[in-house]
Amino acid sequence: MEVLLGITGRDFTLIAASKAAMRGATILKASDDKTRQLNKHTLMAFMGEAGDTVQFAEYIQANAQLYSMRNETDLSPSALAHFVRGELASSLRSRKPYNVNLLLGGVDPITHKPSLYWLDYLAALAPLPYAAHGYAQYYCLSILDKHHHPDISLEQGIKLLTLCIDELKRRLPVDFKGMVVKAVTKDGIVDIEFDDDKVVKSA
Amino acid sequence: MADRYSFSLTTFSPSGKLVQIEYALNAVNQGVTALGIKATNGIVLATEKKSSSPLADPSSLSKISLITPNIGMVYSGMGPDYRVLVDKARKVSHTGYKRIYNEYPPTRILVQDVARVMQEATQSGGVRPYGVSLLIAGWDEGILPEGDEEKEAEEAAGGDEKKKPSGKTGGILKGGPMLYQVDPSGSYFPWKATAIGKSATTAKTFLEKRYTEGLELEDAVHIALLTLKETIEGEMNGETIEIGIVGPPADHLLGVEGVEGARGPRFRKLTPQEIEDYLTNL
Amino acid sequence: MSSPFSINGGACVAMVGKDCVAIACDLRLGLQALTVSNNFPKIFQYGDNVFLGLTGLATDLSTVSDLFRYKVNMYRLREERNIAPKTFANLPFICGFDSIGCIDFAADFIVSGTATDQLYGMCESLWEPNLAPEDLFETISQALMSAVDRDALSGWGAYVYIIEKDKVTKRLLKGRQD
Repeated sequence: MEVLLGITGRDFTLIAASKAAMRGATILKASDDKTRQLNKHTLMAFMGEAGDTVQFAEYIQANAQLYSMRNETDLSPSALAHFVRGELASSLRSRKPYNVNLLLGGVDPITHKPSLYWLDYLAALAPLPYAAHGYAQYYCLSILDKHHHPDISLEQGIKLLTLCIDELKRRLPVDFKGMVVKAVTKDGIVDIEFDDDKVVKSA
Repeated sequence: MADRYSFSLTTFSPSGKLVQIEYALNAVNQGVTALGIKATNGIVLATEKKSSSPLADPSSLSKISLITPNIGMVYSGMGPDYRVLVDKARKVSHTGYKRIYNEYPPTRILVQDVARVMQEATQSGGVRPYGVSLLIAGWDEGILPEGDEEKEAEEAAGGDEKKKPSGKTGGILKGGPMLYQVDPSGSYFPWKATAIGKSATTAKTFLEKRYTEGLELEDAVHIALLTLKETIEGEMNGETIEIGIVGPPADHLLGVEGVEGARGPRFRKLTPQEIEDYLTNL
Repeated sequence: MSSPFSINGGACVAMVGKDCVAIACDLRLGLQALTVSNNFPKIFQYGDNVFLGLTGLATDLSTVSDLFRYKVNMYRLREERNIAPKTFANLPFICGFDSIGCIDFAADFIVSGTATDQLYGMCESLWEPNLAPEDLFETISQALMSAVDRDALSGWGAYVYIIEKDKVTKRLLKGRQD
C-alpha cells in the first residue's frame, strides 16, 4: 500500500511519497525515500515491485546525469518523461518487464512552467495538473478535483497535499508511516518539512 | 572467416582516382550503344541486338527489361552484370516499396535504389563494380490533382505572358515521363535525351541536333531509330533492333477486361512487327 | 475487464461528407473505472490532410503514433513530398484498421474504441450522404457525444477535425465531466 502524490501550482510541482518500505505484511523501514533527483529541476517518484523500483529509477537517474555531463545542459522535464516512457515501453515488451509506476515532476528551466507526468507500468504517459498512484488515486483525485487550481501558491499546495494525506490516514487500512514531501521550483528541489505525527481520527 | 580478411578491390590511387571504376566505365564504352529520348507523352529506349553468329536465335535475346509496370531499363556494357541488376531492381521495387506502400516506386526512388546497389559494389569487400551503365525510363503518377497542375504552371509563368508548358514534363509533383542514366560509380543523371556505350558521343551529338522541346512519343521513336542508324554496324530490322516505350497505359496487356479502374502497364516493348513498321516509314 | 482494449477506454469516429471528411475522438484516459486524465487526445496528424485516430491500450497509442511519425517523416525526407494527399484532394477518404491490420474501407463512417457499439448505433441513425462541412461537424459531434454518454470508459470532452480540400478545422467539445 504505497502512496504517490503529485500536485502542480503556479510556479512549483509538489511530489510526495509514503515512507514505509513494506514486504508482505511487514514494514521493513519507516524512512524510505521513493524519489530520485534526475537533474536540477526534475524529480521522479516511484512505486511498484520491490527491486524493480530502485533499479529502474537509478538507471534513469544515471542516464539523465550522463546526458547532463556530456552535453553540459539538462534535459527538460518533458524530454525526460518521454525518455522514461520509451525505456519503460521497450521493457514492457521484453522477457521480464519492470513493474514500476512513476510520477515525474519538474519545472522547465527556461519557461519556468511547472509540469507533472503520470506514468504507469504499461508505459502509458499523461501530463496532468495533479496525479496519484495506487489506492491513493481513489481517495485523493476527487479531493484534488474539487480543490485544485493551476494558480495555487506553494503554501496552498502543501495545504491541499495535507488534505489528501489526512484522508489517506483516515481511510487506508494500514499505516504508511508518513510522507516524504519535496517541491520542485525554478531554483531547484527543496525538501518540505511535513508533520507526520499528526493524528487523524477515523470517521 | 574468409570475409573477415576480404577488403574492397576499389581503392584510391595516389592521384585520388578509383581506377576500378574507370575500368568499369571502359567496359561500358566498349558496349553496344543504347539510347533514350524523353517526349512530352512518353519515353523511348532503344538499342541494337548484336549477335556474333548467324546461327544465334535473336528472338530469345532481350536487352530491354520491364522493372515495374511503369518503369523499364536498358544497358550498355556487360550483359551478365545487367541481368543481376535487373533482378535486384525488380526485387527492391517490391521489398523496399510495394510491400510497404502497396504501390510501385516512383522512378527517382527506383533509380536511387539501383544506384545504391551499384555504389555498394564500389566500397564493399571482395566485389568488383558493375560493368554497366543503365538508362532507366519511367512514368510517375503526379500527386497534384489535374486542376492544380495548370494553376502551378500559371504561377510559374508569373505575371508576364510566358508560354504555358503543354502537358506534363516530369517530376514527382507533376508526374509524367522521367529518364535517368546510372553509372558504375552509382552516380545518376536525369536526361531529356542521351546515349551510352560505344558510339555514345556520336549519338549524343546527333541527338543534340534532332532533339526539340515538346516532342511527341511517335517523333521520339523516329529520332531514336535515326540515331541508331547513324551508329549501327549491322542491318536494321525488327530482329536486330530492340525498342521499349513508356507511353499511355497498355490496357490490352492487362489480361482481363471489364475490371473498373484497372490500368495496363505504361512500359512495354515493341514487337518486331511494330519496329518493322516504324522502319518502313523512316 | 482486463482486455487490453478496455483498460484505458476511449472512442474514435470518422465520417465522409460532401467534399469533406471528419474525424473525432474523446479525451478520457482511465484505469478501468477510474478516470486519470480528461485531456488525452487520440487523433494524430501526419500531413496537411492526413489524420489517424487510435483507440485501445494507452501505452500502445503512444508507441504506434510515435512509430508512424518516424516512418512518415522518413518518407517525407526520402520522397520530398507529403504522404498521399492526391487521393485526399480528389476524393475525401476514410478507412479503419483492426488491431491485427485488417483494413476496412468505408463509404460512410468508421468507428473504434470501447464505445464502438454505441457509435455504430448513433452513426447508423444520424449519418446521411453528402453532408456539407458544417452539417458533418454537427452530425459527428452529436454521434460521438451521445455514444460516449452511454459508455463509462469514454467521454470527458472531445476533439473534432473537419477536413476540407484546402482547410482543416479543429474544435474542442466540452463534454460532461462525469
